[in-house]
Amino acid sequence: MTTQTPVTDEIFPKHTGKTYALVELMRGEGPMVGKGPDDTVFSFPVVLLWEALLLLGVTLTIFVFSLLKQAPLEEIANPLITTDPAKAPWYFVGLQELLEHMHPTLAGVIIPTLLVLFLMALPYLDHSRANVGVWFSSARGRWIVGLTALYTAIVMPAYIALDNAFSLRELLRGVVQQWVAQGLLPGGILAVLVALPVLVVWRRKADTRELMLTLFTVMFASAVVFTASGFLLRGPGFKLYLPGQMPWWYNPWDGL
Amino acid sequence: MALSSLTTRISQSGPWRSFFRHGWPDNPLDRSLTMTSNIFFHLHPVKVSRRSLRWSYSFGLGVISAILFGVLIWTGVLLMFYYVPSVERAYPTMKEIQFSVPLGQFTRNMHRWSAHAMVLMVILHMARVFYTGAYKPPREFNWIVGVVLLLLTLGASFTGYLLPWDQLAYWAITVGTNIAGYAPVAGPPAREILLGGSEVGQNALIRFYTLHIAVLPLLITLLVSLHLWRVRKDGGLAANET
Repeated sequence: MTTQTPVTDEIFPKHTGKTYALVELMRGEGPMVGKGPDDTVFSFPVVLLWEALLLLGVTLTIFVFSLLKQAPLEEIANPLITTDPAKAPWYFVGLQELLEHMHPTLAGVIIPTLLVLFLMALPYLDHSRANVGVWFSSARGRWIVGLTALYTAIVMPAYIALDNAFSLRELLRGVVQQWVAQGLLPGGILAVLVALPVLVVWRRKADTRELMLTLFTVMFASAVVFTASGFLLRGPGFKLYLPGQMPWWYNPWDGL
Repeated sequence: MALSSLTTRISQSGPWRSFFRHGWPDNPLDRSLTMTSNIFFHLHPVKVSRRSLRWSYSFGLGVISAILFGVLIWTGVLLMFYYVPSVERAYPTMKEIQFSVPLGQFTRNMHRWSAHAMVLMVILHMARVFYTGAYKPPREFNWIVGVVLLLLTLGASFTGYLLPWDQLAYWAITVGTNIAGYAPVAGPPAREILLGGSEVGQNALIRFYTLHIAVLPLLITLLVSLHLWRVRKDGGLAANET
């Protein structure tokens, strides 16, 4: 466009030969306030075809997968015989992995509660409207997310491996009180690991959105790491096995 | 043309016009009316921005989750015709479904794989909404509805996990509910309310079953309706903002 017409003139043209007129302009808050006519198409039939295509694709994928892979059914439930390993469903197995490293109240209650509270509070912590609807907000945001994910993918497996090799719980047994060895110390280590990239980003004059990108990415990537470790690498006795060293008779995928 | 005059006669007949209150959707007015006068289509706006339709923006993750929920309702109802939620009958009826019910094993496979897929898709949907900044004003409330829907989805999957009543189910639920029991003060009573006792048994099975087939699906349906309605009230996908 060479000449910039005001948005209101675009929406309410002055000379159209219409037999009706706009009587009043109101001040107000609404999703469409202050926006010009959009680059839109009729939903019919584009959106419906798009959805029909997704419906076919999704059901066909599940259909074919169900032909190839059977849902597991083991022996009848027996409260007297514990399975080895006994694992929670895959989406809770990350918490089960956390339980191996710290006090149950911290791993099973405090950390998941903090995660849910963080998610609930998120839109009230970060309410700027800049760059809404853009993946990672900006090129800088993309870098922040990428580097944070990389950092987490190194640091969290290292924490799991180190704590597995030199268990804090065992090293400090009888040295300090239980709530220090299993609560304060592992909780503090995790808090530092999570806070570190946030501090680095903050020192580089980040806005709230960039801080949230960092925090969410650390948490999301950590959840992926702990879930993968608990699901794939934990074998009989819930012991850690390197990939490929799992006893032949235990396949973690059988428990899906 | 005989055929076109036939279709015209049908589409202008009384019964047809009582069903469909719009003409053939080849013009803007009838395309609008098609969307607004159909209970399923009216969840959509009459017009959508090209930006919000871009595959690389949303990856269709919300729609995929909803489709999987539909597959789960469909296959779940089929399984309900055979499954009996009692400690004595649950496992035998699972065997029955797998070995003697026509397409029983296949229906169960569809149900199980769709359930895992739905949990995964809902988590990815949340990540997508976060990374595109779509939780920001005016969409704060809808983000919270989404978080609640994620928790309900996890609940629906978890309660379904116990129903086969095999070793896998029994010990996964024992481990899972033990985690809830670790909370100081509120933990043990919460676990006891969920299980209807101190251990996983008949009371737990019937509670999980009722939550799984009635309470949670109804709550999810209700909240998905609210979620979709709010998407429209808040100005469609956040892609429109750019």
